[in-house]
Amino acid sequence: MERQTILQGRVLITPLTAFLIALLGFPLLLDLLYSVSQVGFENIRAPEISGLGNYAKALADPEFWAAAWFSLRFGLIVASIQVVAGLVLAIFLAPLFAARPWLIAFLMLPMMVAPALVGLMYRLILHEFVGVVPYYLLEWYGDFPAFLGRQWVFTTLVVIETLQWTPFALLILHSAYAAISPDVREAAALDGATGLRQLVSIDLPLMLPAIGVTAFIRFIDSFRVFDNIYTLVGSGAGGSTTSMSIYIYQAFFKVGDIGLAVAASMLLLAASFVVLWTINRLTARREPAP
Amino acid sequence: MTRLKTLLAGAAMLAAMGISAAKAEVTVLGWPGGPEEAGLRKVAEAYNAKASEADKVKLIFFNRDGFFDKLAADLAAGTTEFDVNLLATYALGRYAPFMEPITLPAAANETFPEKVLATMQYDGKQYGIPTDLSLHFMYYRSDLIEKLLTDADWKTTYGEISEKYLGKKLEPKGPDQWTWEDWMATALFFTKSINKDSPTRYGSVLQMKNLLFNMMVWHSAARAEGGDWMDASGAITVDSPAFRTALEMYKTLFDDGATPKDSTSYEYAEANAAFGSGQAATMLQWNAAFADLDSKEKTPAVAGKIGTVAPPTGPAGRFTHIHGLGLGINKASTHKEGAVKFLDWLATPEAMTIYAKAGGSPALSDAVVAGIVAERPDLKKLGEFAGAYGFVMNGGTAAKALQVYELQAKEFTAYWSGEKTLDEALAATKSGMAELLKQ
Repeated sequence: MERQTILQGRVLITPLTAFLIALLGFPLLLDLLYSVSQVGFENIRAPEISGLGNYAKALADPEFWAAAWFSLRFGLIVASIQVVAGLVLAIFLAPLFAARPWLIAFLMLPMMVAPALVGLMYRLILHEFVGVVPYYLLEWYGDFPAFLGRQWVFTTLVVIETLQWTPFALLILHSAYAAISPDVREAAALDGATGLRQLVSIDLPLMLPAIGVTAFIRFIDSFRVFDNIYTLVGSGAGGSTTSMSIYIYQAFFKVGDIGLAVAASMLLLAASFVVLWTINRLTARREPAP
Repeated sequence: MTRLKTLLAGAAMLAAMGISAAKAEVTVLGWPGGPEEAGLRKVAEAYNAKASEADKVKLIFFNRDGFFDKLAADLAAGTTEFDVNLLATYALGRYAPFMEPITLPAAANETFPEKVLATMQYDGKQYGIPTDLSLHFMYYRSDLIEKLLTDADWKTTYGEISEKYLGKKLEPKGPDQWTWEDWMATALFFTKSINKDSPTRYGSVLQMKNLLFNMMVWHSAARAEGGDWMDASGAITVDSPAFRTALEMYKTLFDDGATPKDSTSYEYAEANAAFGSGQAATMLQWNAAFADLDSKEKTPAVAGKIGTVAPPTGPAGRFTHIHGLGLGINKASTHKEGAVKFLDWLATPEAMTIYAKAGGSPALSDAVVAGIVAERPDLKKLGEFAGAYGFVMNGGTAAKALQVYELQAKEFTAYWSGEKTLDEALAATKSGMAELLKQ
């Protein structure tokens, strides 16, 4: 009976396994091959194996590290702001959401817009001669900053990303906040805990896993940012807004150095794997033994 | 990796689409959207009306975004989904290994000037029939320049501003007589922050985004100063005084506020919006912008008040970058005979007249232009400017020419935005170009 169950299980899991191998395994193998090859568009069907030169080239390229630093900085700053903003909104608007749940759907709207379109939208909004923001700033204050100039572009990109994706943080953190049992808060109140005390000692500790997950998802999403930056300012003056994704895209399509692009993406994959594995280990250690 | 997956998925989709495309005898991949597509559709219609069943053409179009990247991937993969495809001068070297050289029909010399045919040549071989030509006009506000040339107070202020900012007292001149210095003085004069009486906020609008096409626009200035990518021996000359002067010219105007402060994010559309708003007095821009800018419906603020001349003169002469779009034959095509017949017909005055009337911008010989000048007066100027001032940088059609443009865009915008010094930017450009253009 047990053997039959195992057999059935294997049969049932076979299609999914085959699907994953075909969909993920094949491209991964191809990537591995390209990453150790001299390959461009001219010989894409017959790459020449050249060893680990592409990895060395990527690691020695200052632009690779500049892109990695841009993505890391952008991801950390944006994820932090979004989590804090999402948390504040989730807690302060909780009574409003309880009375009018449809408001949540309204606040989710920015997430429904494709990031590439968001980039294009801000290209219009921030343009000196057709955009509403410079227009009103000029009307009211007689001047406006160069939003997409060297000095302000990073801040502008952070604000745009935050405006679009804070609703995501709000959604998860609102669910976590709403899931805290009223009994717990009631018990705390009976023990004399005030609102702030409840927040610090009850709500936030109980929401901590949700906060961690939100921060992690938002960091990953912001780290691999591409569409909105690329449609808004491209890779920036002197490559100043080149994220890792833009670096890989440029190396692949613009420079035609496919080996370098794929090697860079494999390095990114390896770094992501290390981060995920570390988080997994840390999470496993915190879980109490059964 | 994500890009590669996208590429593979795209190839699979194209393969699926190919089931229907394979039924056509000759499939033509054209430049999507805009007047080029409208023109090609009319031409194909006319050709199919008289071609035999076996020679009829079918048109397909990708999206413009990433067009050349997708085309490169398809050609490299040996696709047979199209027989004839779009070519561009600056990408000839990139695509040449996957294209079939052609022999020009006799009619081609009657239809196109020699310089225009050369925009489709690489390594001594002809790869396509030129369908559209792009070059630059110096756009200016004719009403403002007229006043500048006649108003005594304005003339005095012009002299004072040129002396203060450029170190020499200049007199206003008509745009067709402008040197690059005259243009700079005019741009500074029409800048509100410099001249409070200026009717425009900026004297010019520069396209300074890190984008290869912006380098093409700026090259007209570099060439007029005597700049070239390489000398006859193949040595990279991008750090010459000519390049320095032309780079400093843009930097001066940017730093002095004669162009919008966000100019380092400006390309074609942003520049047109600035000029079209009536708040910029001059603009070096592609010829294709004229129709929209002069349209009362689209840009009422400036329509009817725009003049166009060739870019200003420099110590080495007067120049405009030119590049062509055209159609050539995919080396992997399975219908080469039919493709040749179509291209041969495309090079005739008859086909190009249909193409031009439908909105295309071919640069044609005087004799052919004469027949359509009443409907397309702009084509006369296009042909004249291309013949008189057109240039392609030495190395501008090389296999890695696009990468050279990309490199220059990155380094030069770094200088303009203040991220790098001029010496740093030029040194990085020179070493990068030496690597890209080495024989």
